[in-house]
Amino acid sequence: MKILVTLDAKNYSKNILKDVARLAGNTLADVVFLGVQDDTASPRQSLVNTLLKYQKDIYSYFSPDDLPYAEFSSDRLEEKGKGDWTISAKGMKEFTLRIKSGSVAKQTIAVAEEMNCDLAVLGCGGKAGCEWDGEMNVPLRIAKDAPCSVLVIKQTKKTNQIVSILDHSVVSQDSLEMINQLVTLNEAGLKIVGVQKKKDGHKAEVEKRMVELLRYYNDLEINVWVKLLNSEEVKPYVTNISRESIVALWMGKESLIKLLFSQSMVDKLLETTQSSLLILR
Amino acid sequence: MLKTLLYINEDLASSIALRYTAYLNKFSPLSLYVTHVVEQTEKEQAGTGLVKRAWEDGIVSSGEQLVNRMLRTENIDCPLAGRPKVVMGKREDETIYELRSGGYDLYIEGYLNTADPDQFYAVVSSELYSKSPCPILMVKNLSISKKCALLCASSVDPAVLVEKSMKILGDSTFKFDIVYFKFKDAEQMQILGKGDGGSNLQELESLLDKAGKSVDNVSVLAGNPEQVGDFLKQYALAVSTLPSRKSMRMQVLANSLAPVLLVR
Repeated sequence: MKILVTLDAKNYSKNILKDVARLAGNTLADVVFLGVQDDTASPRQSLVNTLLKYQKDIYSYFSPDDLPYAEFSSDRLEEKGKGDWTISAKGMKEFTLRIKSGSVAKQTIAVAEEMNCDLAVLGCGGKAGCEWDGEMNVPLRIAKDAPCSVLVIKQTKKTNQIVSILDHSVVSQDSLEMINQLVTLNEAGLKIVGVQKKKDGHKAEVEKRMVELLRYYNDLEINVWVKLLNSEEVKPYVTNISRESIVALWMGKESLIKLLFSQSMVDKLLETTQSSLLILR
Repeated sequence: MLKTLLYINEDLASSIALRYTAYLNKFSPLSLYVTHVVEQTEKEQAGTGLVKRAWEDGIVSSGEQLVNRMLRTENIDCPLAGRPKVVMGKREDETIYELRSGGYDLYIEGYLNTADPDQFYAVVSSELYSKSPCPILMVKNLSISKKCALLCASSVDPAVLVEKSMKILGDSTFKFDIVYFKFKDAEQMQILGKGDGGSNLQELESLLDKAGKSVDNVSVLAGNPEQVGDFLKQYALAVSTLPSRKSMRMQVLANSLAPVLLVR
């Protein structure tokens, strides 16, 4: 598994490190920490220091015997291309710090594509919305356009329920595992909500997906509850539960949920959620 | 042992019901029978005499295959007490007939939880539920809980609730809690003091005591049906009397994530 974590110096970034460490440890993932700056001349030292500090923090969550990553041989990032600097260390798994110049959303999406990552993670702040360095549309753009699953952690508040919304579209093994990780990280129960159109022929397929998931999570001894909703009931339901639960939306290419959850709806969810939003692809 | 009839279809609800039944068997041993009714419209019926008989045999045989497929797939840890009972006809009529003629103690069927209380009400007010000679367990979800909730409210007759539910659960190894529901439309559900439960709650406690059952915990909840329904997910099942009208308690049962045992 490959995890891309976009970070800056703000508290909402610092606060997600514990979750990132546990996620990386549980999945034995290759991890890239990405920092984004405006200027292209050289990596800004304050950003380098921030990322190096975060790297040390992440490493400190592991006992020396369990640490799957190696230490960097130096603190100097090498130029990979114009406005692109990196440093890597390969232990059992690879840990990379990368700094790019440009816009945060664009560079996160570009790096996610380039490294073919499974999950992009970022934090966001703000009580009334989900902002990144004063901008409200950064987490939304990443959630909407990234080629991989995206986890936006708004508050590292403990929640006792993960609500996973799915339709008839195919569910990948990685997505199942990510939900499993969220359940483990939060020691939460899992509610699987199947969505169907009132008059389409996908009811059996949605149920088939739910049976598969039920079996998968039961085998892992995870407490699962199922619920079935018609498509028109989904938006109010999700908006309501997002206040108290982590919402995971399966938004595959041909997903009904993708159609239902327009940009404004994902934006609203990012605004209302009191914990995290996971977009699964 | 409780003589139990479980309805099986080839869908998620039945898949959950099968697994849950095996779980229930650990707490209250069951003598389990399964049934499936093949429903045919008039248009689908063919021929007369031998032709009709051969056609019906074929339909029933495909129903038996469906049941066997489900049993094989779920492979539950609960032996069947007899061969699956697969018949042709109207599901409600055939099920009521089987429940009456077979002298069952309990009927179980799967019911997928939805956000629509009207759908739930349509089911619980159906002929099957109003004419069933035994309590009905609607399995909405699986559980790992070892506790049951006796759901009480001002509209519940405590005597019926205790007498009928203890016939099913009295010898089980489940622990019991009482959840007393009071409707209040607020953003947060409130947990009130025991005194707010009123005379029905007192009577319920006293009847359970007389039946030799101890109650672990009493929760008097003031909230809306969604909140209380969600609260019930911590239980292996919620027992209540069959609601006879569209009440707030009916909506709690509709929203309950836990399986619901309806007695009357």
